[in-house]
Amino acid sequence: MHYPESTQLNLLRRTSSKFTVTVIVDRCKECGICIAVCPTKVLSISNMINKHGYRPPEPLNIDKCIGCKLCEYNCPDFAIFVEKVEQP
Amino acid sequence: MAVTQYIHPLDKHLRLERIPTLYCPGCGLGIGLASMLRALDSRIKEGSIDPDKVFWVGGIGCSARMVFYVNYDSAHVIHGRAIPFAIGAVLANPELKAIVVGGDGDIAGIGGNHLLHAARRNVDLIVVMFTNFVYAMTGGQVAPTTPRGVKTTTTPRGNPEYPMNAVKLVTSLNANYVARASITTPHYIEQYFYKALGKKGFRFIEVVSACPEVYGRHIGLRNPVEMYNELKKRVKHKPKASIEEAEIDWDKGIVTGEFVDRDNPSYIEILRGEQSEI
Repeated sequence: MHYPESTQLNLLRRTSSKFTVTVIVDRCKECGICIAVCPTKVLSISNMINKHGYRPPEPLNIDKCIGCKLCEYNCPDFAIFVEKVEQP
Repeated sequence: MAVTQYIHPLDKHLRLERIPTLYCPGCGLGIGLASMLRALDSRIKEGSIDPDKVFWVGGIGCSARMVFYVNYDSAHVIHGRAIPFAIGAVLANPELKAIVVGGDGDIAGIGGNHLLHAARRNVDLIVVMFTNFVYAMTGGQVAPTTPRGVKTTTTPRGNPEYPMNAVKLVTSLNANYVARASITTPHYIEQYFYKALGKKGFRFIEVVSACPEVYGRHIGLRNPVEMYNELKKRVKHKPKASIEEAEIDWDKGIVTGEFVDRDNPSYIEILRGEQSEI
């Protein structure tokens, strides 16, 4: 399936003053590597269940995010990424 | 057709209708693929590589399945014969950037002979070999790279054979670039692949990967994070390692780094030189 412009993809997105962490919920396979590699423990497992039956991580402590992108680099399923918030 | 919506920074390099991949949760191959795509992305943004000239070839196996997920020209060929197919494509059209991906069973096991002769001729190819120490797709049988003493499906009392060190093998031939990285340090995969994309001749990168399902579970590692941490403990990075240090051993450690970086004339350059002399 191609994602048309109109479809709403299931995203978990949290923003701090510096960084935005986005989890694409339906791509996650709950391997737990992102939670293990995060040096400041931003991520924790969520209660929601995606369409394949896995529980994706949730960036709860987003204020601690330092933008190292280790979660993005170590995600095997292209399910999480970090963006810098543009400072005005 | 509806406009495709890109969310992840690498989505434009992927065939989104085939995502999520068939890999097991926690498989290291996705990390390797993402790192390779990041390197390719920065080369394309620089303008040194035309995306229409990039060509991926894969044989059989989990790692070779990668060519299904990239949004480039790709070919899926019979077991072990990815390198001969890529040589044919490159000889027919020398402008192609051929990238061969495969597992240790595909490239070093079944297609070992092709690896030897492609490296000997210094053909313009990039070969990325994902070493996960077993034949993972067929259920975890012993592979040429399985460390000695490790229990697999076909060696329940421990592997009695000595493993093969593909980096030392390729270095003894005429390859232009030989490096080894691990999925626990994805930045090095990106850095080495980026460097390999800018060179000519035979370039070989071995990526040590984690297979939590049929390798990790058989040696007592119960989940992907345990497998990842166990591999991380055993990987030692040496930036300026000599080839004698290129050990790959489950007990003594896995040495990563760049081992060979030279500029011997590539096969196509030699062919062109000879033709102009005649």
